[in-house]
Amino acid sequence: MTASILAVEIRDELYAIIRDPVAALFSIAMPVGMFAVFATLFGAEGDGPVSGATLMLATFGAFGVISVALTPGIGIAEDRERGWLQVKRVSPVPVRTTLAAKVVASLPVALGVYAAMSLTAFALGRFDTDIGTWLRIAGLLLLGSLPFALLSMAVGFVARGRSAPAIINAVFLPMAIAGGLWMPLEVLPAFVQDLAVWLPTYHTSQLGLGLLVGDPILDNIAALLAATAVAASLAAIAYRSMRA
Amino acid sequence: MTDIVTIRGLDHSYGQTRALRGVDLTVGAGECVALLGPNGAGKTTLVSALTGALAPAAGTVRITGSDPRRPATRRRLGVVHQHAGFPRTLKVRELVAGWAVRAGRPASDADAVLAEVGLLDLTKRRVTELSGGQQQRLQLAMSLAVDPTLLVLDEPTVGLDVEARRRFWATLAARRDRGTAVLLTTHQIEEAAAVADRVVVLHQGTVIAIGSPADLTAQLPDRTVTARTALPDSELRALPDVLDVTVADGRMRAVSARPEATVRALLAADPTLADLRVEGASLEQAIVSMTAAQESRKVAA
Repeated sequence: MTASILAVEIRDELYAIIRDPVAALFSIAMPVGMFAVFATLFGAEGDGPVSGATLMLATFGAFGVISVALTPGIGIAEDRERGWLQVKRVSPVPVRTTLAAKVVASLPVALGVYAAMSLTAFALGRFDTDIGTWLRIAGLLLLGSLPFALLSMAVGFVARGRSAPAIINAVFLPMAIAGGLWMPLEVLPAFVQDLAVWLPTYHTSQLGLGLLVGDPILDNIAALLAATAVAASLAAIAYRSMRA
Repeated sequence: MTDIVTIRGLDHSYGQTRALRGVDLTVGAGECVALLGPNGAGKTTLVSALTGALAPAAGTVRITGSDPRRPATRRRLGVVHQHAGFPRTLKVRELVAGWAVRAGRPASDADAVLAEVGLLDLTKRRVTELSGGQQQRLQLAMSLAVDPTLLVLDEPTVGLDVEARRRFWATLAARRDRGTAVLLTTHQIEEAAAVADRVVVLHQGTVIAIGSPADLTAQLPDRTVTARTALPDSELRALPDVLDVTVADGRMRAVSARPEATVRALLAADPTLADLRVEGASLEQAIVSMTAAQESRKVAA
């Protein structure tokens, strides 16, 4: 497998995200727009020296990065339904390369979403962290989105093209809200706060929050590793039962 | 002639249904082999095994000596599917250039093959904005961009107009002259008869006939006698060795087991006979006859 083949696969998948108005709206514009609204309204509130807008880079940042990480599953379901995956299966490119390219292509887009949110915070005068921490949060958010990419692929392997986005969002949006990605957990009911620690969305946001306020994040990393293992198993099972 | 495709003892089942039963097949360099048979004959399973999409239960499939299940073997395999379902976010040239790169060819090969199939003026158009016929030509361009040693064509001319069909087969002929082997599956039997060197007839997973279109039609002794005649239907049916007669617009069409005897009797009975023709069986008639005979043998057994 040469680098040029991988580059073509990634380019095609990148176009699939940025040239598709629906994907761009839900995966890019909506999270950034929501961040802009919430950071404007509540960005001045915060935790000590860190403004609310900067803390939202961890929570809404997780929401934005995960929203993009879910695109591979939607793409797989559409490719299956159209018959394109069948065409790819008899090409010289192994299917695992095509699948990996879908995930890799989502990374720069996810980074772009995080950067757009950061620029918004900066424009509001509420960007209260250093570049090193900002980069570490970016890296952790991308790694923390891996179980979601795998989960979306599991759905993409078995769901129909049109129903895949609905299924993925039906799973993800409640997890995002209950995981504290849209609003602080403290304002949510007690049972939701109890539920949150079982959700990978919560642990992904805690990675960034931990770095910003100095809390330990090892437990969150362990929880996300476990979630990744579960999601990878589900994706493997779904792949075996896939009908292209 | 070097064999590009070698299939030996290919066997595959889906649950209790046996799709292929010990199929042997070769396709030589520059040769065009048409795979024909009714729905459910096993054509799709055979093509899936040949293109590496299916691991057969038994037997071997080789393309230039290598297993098509290995991605590297498929580098010089071009496939034209009945329906490709292109991604809606790519443009024509991007798709073809990308396909060339995947096969280890330079992206710049794209323009030459797009010119070859007549799509050079549409390179910047989104692939989903092309008409059905243009999308079939695009598939051909993709398959040619890999500089194929083998082309597998599944109903390739569906949706093409007459001129596009002519151009399609002319393009294929040029590639065959350069040594590209072609395996064609189609339900357009007369088209297959016109372009294929050999025809393979599959029936219920078994190869029941293999040979040139002329060889296969020669196996069917019946001939069709047509003429303009004033003879009534009853007299036409009484002609010697006639198996079946139809009359439409003053023109009779009789299937005869011994056309010489039928024609002699016809000329004697009708001095006003005009526009007499004797034609051999069509490939379609031959295949229908072969599959019917196979069914009869199966029932008798």
